Amino acid sequence: MIAAETVSTMSFFFASLALLCWAAVVLIGTGALLGRLVSRPIPLVESLGADIRRVALPLAWLIAAVTMLGSLYYSRIQHYIPCELCWYQRICIYPFAVILGIAAWRRDAGVRVYAVPVLAIGAMVAAYHTWVQAYPPVDGTSFCTADAPCTLRYVWEFGFVSLPFMALSACCCMIVLLLIARPTPRTASLVESP
Amino acid sequence: MSNQPSSKGSASSRVAAASAQNSSSSTRLIWIGIAVVVLVVGVLAFVVTRSDGSDGGSATPDNGGATPGVTVVPSGKVAVGPIVVTGTQLPELASGGADPAVGQIIPTIEGQTFDGTALSIGPTGEPTIIMVVAHWCPHCQREVPFLQSWLTANGAPEGVRLVALATSNDSGKPNYPAGQWLVREKWTVPTMVDDKASDGAQALGVTGFPYFIVVDAQGKVIERTSGELTAAQWEALIAAAKSGSAQPGA
Repeated sequence: MIAAETVSTMSFFFASLALLCWAAVVLIGTGALLGRLVSRPIPLVESLGADIRRVALPLAWLIAAVTMLGSLYYSRIQHYIPCELCWYQRICIYPFAVILGIAAWRRDAGVRVYAVPVLAIGAMVAAYHTWVQAYPPVDGTSFCTADAPCTLRYVWEFGFVSLPFMALSACCCMIVLLLIARPTPRTASLVESP
Repeated sequence: MSNQPSSKGSASSRVAAASAQNSSSSTRLIWIGIAVVVLVVGVLAFVVTRSDGSDGGSATPDNGGATPGVTVVPSGKVAVGPIVVTGTQLPELASGGADPAVGQIIPTIEGQTFDGTALSIGPTGEPTIIMVVAHWCPHCQREVPFLQSWLTANGAPEGVRLVALATSNDSGKPNYPAGQWLVREKWTVPTMVDDKASDGAQALGVTGFPYFIVVDAQGKVIERTSGELTAAQWEALIAAAKSGSAQPGA
């Protein structure tokens, strides 16, 4: 049962991270809304917003990397077979484990122009897949083939968190982070220039 | 005076440097906060999943609670075949149009139940409904208790043999093994365990789960269908088995 316990622990862990992603989306969204609605700046929100903007790019890369590693854990170590919809989501997420890493290194927040559309497509596929797993079509079997059915819930944590839900969470969080990302200033020197 | 800022430019540089230092400090704090949260989640995941006896949603043996007098499928320890298939394999069920298997004699599949008892699927001299289920398929996970509640309420249909084939058995997929799942559902239909290659399902032309084949007393296919059934559709299959021809509504 060690393998079963391990996958259970990993699924709980990844599902919790997915919920944290949504918490971040809500937090950032609320902050952005406050910034637009309130005419007088709220110092705490302003300060926190500025801090989050600075870490947004590397954080988005971290989420992409963890999502990719989690996905590989399930397919390569647990031997869960990715279905067709899983592959589309992988296509939309995997490249950013590298691209966002380079962008974070170069402090290139402009990567959002390229990344957000692809991640949005990934989010749409993940949302559809989440819906299919939550409510499998009763009268059709097109998503229930013997080799890699899209309806198969390999993970079902907390009664609603599936693998595509995790992908959806990661995509949405990365999109929000990329939208607010600002280039991180290079390490400042305290030595005055002459 | 030499160590005092002497120009507006150097003063602004100092302010910018101090600001950058503050930013760097708060950025570091955010990263530490994220690391702490992830660590806490990891510890929580370990503690929760290792301490409450949870096994990740996989099947756990539960032989208790069976209704007295009802023959629930034995759980046994058989998780995969062996099976032996003789006869002509049925073509796959097409998604539309006429089923090419109608009128064809089904192959004979010799296998065993979860406790190793011999069981045969094939022409047996009586009308038969064969149900093919997979332990991981959410449709089957809903259809099995639905059909079992129908059987409990209405009893086994008279003059129609019911037999099931538990196929696509895979220890890497949820709800494994099928035997424990069916015992939990108090499944009363005699069930054969397919082999690792799912040869039994292939012989019956299975394309999806759950899968139903209605055959007459001579073993000829009357109709096949795939997907979850309503009570009316299930009763139409029974009527088809009894009458020897497909009934509307199935």
